[in-house]
Amino acid sequence: MTDLFVDSYPKQARVVRSAFLTAYIALGIGALFGVLQALHRTDILRLVESPTYYTILTGHGVFLVITFTIFFLVGLYQWAVTDSLGRGPVDMRLTWAWYGLMSSGTLLAAIAILAGFLDDPPTVLGSELSADVLFTFYAPLQANPIFYVGLVLFVVGTWLAGADWFRTWWSWKQENPDARIPLPTFMVLTTMIMWYISSIGVAVSILAFILPWSLGLTGSLNPTLTRTLFWYFGHPVVYFWLLPAYLLWYTVLPKLSGGRLFSDPLARVVFILFILLSTPVGIHHQYLDPGISDGFKFIVMTNTMFLLLPSFLTAFTVVASMEHGARQRGGDGYFNWLQALPWRDPAFTGMSLAGVVFAFGGFTGIVNAGMNINYLVHNSLWVPGHIHTQVGTAVALTFMAGSYWLVPQLTGNRLVGRDVALVQVVLWFVGIVFMTNSMYRGGLIGIPRRSAEPQYDFDYEIAVGSIPEIRAQLAIGGVLLFVSAMLFLVLILLTAFNDDSEPIVDGTIPPALSGPEDSPRVLDDLRVWIAIALVLVAIAYAFPLANIVSRGGLFGPDIGPFPVVVETVASVLSTTDTGMYLEALVETES
Amino acid sequence: MRIHQYERLWLIGAMVLIVGFIVTITYGAVGLGITMVDDQEATLPPDDIDDDERFADPRVEQVGEDEYEAYVVAMTFIYQPDPIEVPANSEVTFYVTSRDVIHSFTVVGTNTNTMVIPGEVSVMTVEFDEPGEYGVVCNEYCGSGHHDMEGELIVHPEDEFTLTELAVDAPESVAPGDDVELEATIDNGLLEDLDVTLEAEIGDETFEEDVTVAGDGSETVTITVDGEELGEGDHDWTISVDDETESGSVTVGDEEDGGDDS
Amino acid sequence: MRTSPAKLLILIAILLVIVVELRTVLAFFDVELTVLQGIAVGIVGIALLLVWAFSPLFSESDQ
Repeated sequence: MTDLFVDSYPKQARVVRSAFLTAYIALGIGALFGVLQALHRTDILRLVESPTYYTILTGHGVFLVITFTIFFLVGLYQWAVTDSLGRGPVDMRLTWAWYGLMSSGTLLAAIAILAGFLDDPPTVLGSELSADVLFTFYAPLQANPIFYVGLVLFVVGTWLAGADWFRTWWSWKQENPDARIPLPTFMVLTTMIMWYISSIGVAVSILAFILPWSLGLTGSLNPTLTRTLFWYFGHPVVYFWLLPAYLLWYTVLPKLSGGRLFSDPLARVVFILFILLSTPVGIHHQYLDPGISDGFKFIVMTNTMFLLLPSFLTAFTVVASMEHGARQRGGDGYFNWLQALPWRDPAFTGMSLAGVVFAFGGFTGIVNAGMNINYLVHNSLWVPGHIHTQVGTAVALTFMAGSYWLVPQLTGNRLVGRDVALVQVVLWFVGIVFMTNSMYRGGLIGIPRRSAEPQYDFDYEIAVGSIPEIRAQLAIGGVLLFVSAMLFLVLILLTAFNDDSEPIVDGTIPPALSGPEDSPRVLDDLRVWIAIALVLVAIAYAFPLANIVSRGGLFGPDIGPFPVVVETVASVLSTTDTGMYLEALVETES
Repeated sequence: MRIHQYERLWLIGAMVLIVGFIVTITYGAVGLGITMVDDQEATLPPDDIDDDERFADPRVEQVGEDEYEAYVVAMTFIYQPDPIEVPANSEVTFYVTSRDVIHSFTVVGTNTNTMVIPGEVSVMTVEFDEPGEYGVVCNEYCGSGHHDMEGELIVHPEDEFTLTELAVDAPESVAPGDDVELEATIDNGLLEDLDVTLEAEIGDETFEEDVTVAGDGSETVTITVDGEELGEGDHDWTISVDDETESGSVTVGDEEDGGDDS
Repeated sequence: MRTSPAKLLILIAILLVIVVELRTVLAFFDVELTVLQGIAVGIVGIALLLVWAFSPLFSESDQ
């Protein structure tokens, strides 16, 4: 057995453990908030008032898709770079600096969000401490500046993390001038290039517009502009969540299957496609937005469809690698090889089931991307259904499964409760199907997402089953997922304290069947891909952004903030007396 | 670059599928005419809504035979007008704008769905074939009362749909010897002429009058009652046209004149 | 036993998933299963799986 990661690189293992710890804490809070929402919106158990639902919803979004996923990412990538280059960072102080920045950013944002639970929140930086603006923080909804400052610190932290990995690679390259970039490091670097290109959008949105506006320095902003800049970042960020899962599927999953990666060159092509296509598609989240011409919407629709390509390639390569592994283990036949796979291993089973759910989520994603059918499902419960199959399972379940393989190597402790871990990943799989199936069905009949009480005066016209049944199914799914998440955290906690044990993990990653020597070296010339990506971004975004600014102005047509407090409801309602209505419309008898 | 034979086939299959998706969507847009919300309408700052002739008075208006326009304002946490009423077998173009934050205008269970962004006007044209009632919800989080934001869209049978408006100008009190004059103005929002019967009731007396109101026009009917015949005291009156009803009361004589003190 | 406990667990999970999705799929063909019928199909399916896994008859005949 080879040396464990923790023995070879004790300092780096500490960074990875810290990042994972933060991720797991966020997972715990986020999962709790998740089950509270599932029970609240289905009107089964309401522990808070409905306005507080949106505090919980904001927390669920930010803690899970920002804190959990991205902290896991930086931990995993630190492991991948260190392991595949066989060396640590040039200067560990930079490493701890980015971890510190990301953590303090998270803490600030968390304080602003959680203040939503207070009856009488304190005033900070000139406005009430709250951030009930959800993960998308669409202006003119306004959070306390602390929230935006936290987000900025967090993103700057991730930028430094990327710089740290590039620096490590550069240093390695000086010692190995002719070597190809090892695949895991290649994946890390390409992901970070995509992240640099895309996160500029949210940085500009916050630093130039939203933060000064929330501090009262500017009086107005252009909501279409900040929204478009958000989605410039908001679609690539889903690949930022997904690519670490891809890294595990490409490197760890084939190995767990008993074999090796099928094709290294195609893995590189896939990651390059993500650099090129992730960003110039963001407007597909804005198919329903006024102020953006349908021509631009059509362009991003075609770009989005081509984004299916890297996922199709991944499906092939990963399944082919699993089949190769199964045949190495003695599997045969057209489908019988499936039986030879190590289903008892929670890390393997978790990642495989995550892959299956990802395929389902891909199909619903195609529906979302189809710009005309999008009008039927946009912002309905269908959309969180899609999100929970993708980031909530393809990503989260892969991360949990990966943890079962990685945490023993990072701690030197044997995984506690391997069989319970298997039940945990299977429970997640069942829970997610229960929940997302009900979300898809609910969305198709028009139940909205992001609503504390989707119970209205009208009745939904339901095609299959009944509304109570859909609600019950959603709640059961949510509870199963919560139980599964708690099981996971308990097992990881027990493993962390399982000191006097020896892990039984082989941490080596075997080389691919078809190695990098089968691919042209230009794949490794990252400058080429950065240049092409920037051109594509310019083509997709220059005209829409210019159009939005020329229509509404950089700072908008005098649009003021909208603090999210209950008092405003009364003042707005008072301006809407019946005098403003035209009461000419006649109710006819029927 | 070496690519396995199966992988090559898979790659080609994936490309065919992707192009197929793009073709079907393009067909939906061009062939079936499923249009998108776009930037055709000029911007409208929220502060100018009250000065805009479309939105100052949110309403449904007939603009052609079987063609209507609905001007809708969304704000925390209501829609105006509510309900929105249109006839069946019509083509309705919705113009929707927001007074404050980002909302949506979503007719539940249909693809009539748009974001409503302050500063912008969303335009959608929808064909209504059948009478029915739909819920309208906001599906973009807009603040603590977001879940209360709902409206109603009623599609009336074609022959029962009117856009009639009744306004009555009546005195609060008259001297005992004077006439009581009730001035009823009937507005016809439809483009066709409207034949209606105006019914009025004051004290014990009733009146009926057939009126024809020209398309997109109005007609004023004056009902005169001798104050002495009514006698001194308070008299309730009611005037109705179709389903529109106005009512009030008039005082004959100046004893206990409630209107003048303060 | 004809299969391992781990595989049996995964087969049951996949069966549950198929039952949940099958109801939606069948509705497209105007076959509507009620919740109870759905649960019944699930229970019968799981029972069949267990019989298949544990019955000595099957394991003998298949090997």
